[in-house]
Amino acid sequence: MIGSLLFLLTISFISGLTLGSYSVPILDIISGKLEPLQKTVLTQIRAPRVILAGFVGASLALSGASLQGLFRNPLADPGLIGVSAGAALGATSIIVLSNHFVPEFLAGPFLLPIAAIAGSMLVIMLLFTLTKGFKSKGTTYMLLIGIAINSISGVCIGFLTYISSDAELRSLTFWTMGSFGGVSWPLLVPAIILISLFLIWAIPSSRNLDLLQLGEIEAQRLGVNLKKLRFNIILSSAAIVGISVSLSGMIGFVGLVVPHLARLIGGVNHTYLLISSAIAGSSLMIVADLIARTFVQPAELPVGLITSAIGSPFFLYLIIRSKKL
Amino acid sequence: MSIDVDKVSLNIKGVDIIKDISFSINPGELITILGPNGSGKSTLLKVISGDIFPTKGRVDIDDIRLSDMSFKTQALKRSVMSQSQQILYDYSVAEIIEMGWVDYGNNGNVDLIKQKCTNVSKECFVDHLLDRNFNTLSGGEQRRVHFARTLLQIDHHYDSVGARYMFLDEPTANLDLLFELQMIRLLKAKAKNGIGVLLIIHDLNLASKFSDKIVILKEGNLIAFGEPFEVFRSKTLSNIFGLEMDVDPKTLKVTYY
Repeated sequence: MIGSLLFLLTISFISGLTLGSYSVPILDIISGKLEPLQKTVLTQIRAPRVILAGFVGASLALSGASLQGLFRNPLADPGLIGVSAGAALGATSIIVLSNHFVPEFLAGPFLLPIAAIAGSMLVIMLLFTLTKGFKSKGTTYMLLIGIAINSISGVCIGFLTYISSDAELRSLTFWTMGSFGGVSWPLLVPAIILISLFLIWAIPSSRNLDLLQLGEIEAQRLGVNLKKLRFNIILSSAAIVGISVSLSGMIGFVGLVVPHLARLIGGVNHTYLLISSAIAGSSLMIVADLIARTFVQPAELPVGLITSAIGSPFFLYLIIRSKKL
Repeated sequence: MSIDVDKVSLNIKGVDIIKDISFSINPGELITILGPNGSGKSTLLKVISGDIFPTKGRVDIDDIRLSDMSFKTQALKRSVMSQSQQILYDYSVAEIIEMGWVDYGNNGNVDLIKQKCTNVSKECFVDHLLDRNFNTLSGGEQRRVHFARTLLQIDHHYDSVGARYMFLDEPTANLDLLFELQMIRLLKAKAKNGIGVLLIIHDLNLASKFSDKIVILKEGNLIAFGEPFEVFRSKTLSNIFGLEMDVDPKTLKVTYY
């Protein structure tokens, strides 16, 4: 199963690299007969873009899958429950406020991702504290908290937008819908390394996520250190979502839809689920980005629009189908 | 080698749930806890399982303080079966049973785990259900699957762990008479093989027939601890359960209707 998902990812990756408003045929890449312009498009524009889309897709899908396991709740999605919004708030605060409040020596290219990670971590910890006493009515309660967090950060972002300068405003606008455009290698490389580390760090928890489905006490009796498991999942999810949001803005529903599809194809076992969600999320995001930049050529749609167009009806379907929401 | 419960008390929000309880579980013994509802049976089992820390007193497993043991060491020493909750995602029966294998990634290969899983599922009469979706099983079938998982948990190759124990809180709830009897017999056989079993059940006749020792609780106090013929007296039981009871001194059969 994972083999065929990897095959799918390879196909999406190649399509992402070669297709677009400026075509770079695969045969030319293999034979190395690229013209200078083609070469620039491929290495400086398209490759970073496709790679970023792949990593962001993997991050969102894997954090969706592991949060759904941790909260024992199939509707946990980093976007729906406010984790992405927390990251966006952290990032926008830095964009608008750093000129006024942050001392010169601290401001650097990494301040933004760190603020985004801090924002998403804060939201996950808040969610965890708030849902603890509401295990039986967890789903509805958690989604309502998600709505509240999304609104609060919406207000804050709105306020920051209002007081921002023109230049700041331009960099703010893309947070709301998400985009992979304009990413460059110097920012991408550290992001790739960090995301890969946290992805690899999250995967050994998958067995414990399975045991957790028996109940917290049962898992502990089977030898699971609950505190350590929560710490691992919360920190890794916050980190990969935070990094993703800081580079690409808010992209909804990938963390919700992909794990569901993965469960439908190959079962609910987390060892399989985390890995397959990451691979499937990756290829889905590359395809979504491909659609976003080719659908109304030469203009470009925000990629969050594409994922939400697929994801929100699916979300509605899940709510209607769910008996015990 | 034994589990020693020493002067254990638990006070939650000013209420004494269990008071000054002491007894021991030896490997090879089947010990049953009896008592009316609210007498502290499940709480006592939770304290011994390490879910709750006692307010006073201590629990030692093979001379090691329970609070000093890691979760993993505890998991290798003893398995616990309790009233389990609903499972959200659709795991197969085989997956649920394999969850009992502590240290899945490191200890033993996949074939060995499969083999052990098949063995325990045969013992618990669920081997025909292995490929089924756990959530589609009846309540009784789900209990038997959890029972198989509990058996698998202490059926590992860490010999240095030493004696092993099983704690079960009303494992026969939802089971029909045949499966109830089969489960108790299996527990008795496990005890004969050297496992210490601590069991909560409500059926007095099963308790007197299969237990090596019986703990009787009432309102958090330990009323009696001993072999069935020592504690099964008409007067004691009538007092504890608030119901006229008649114990046949020879067979220890209890009649209360």
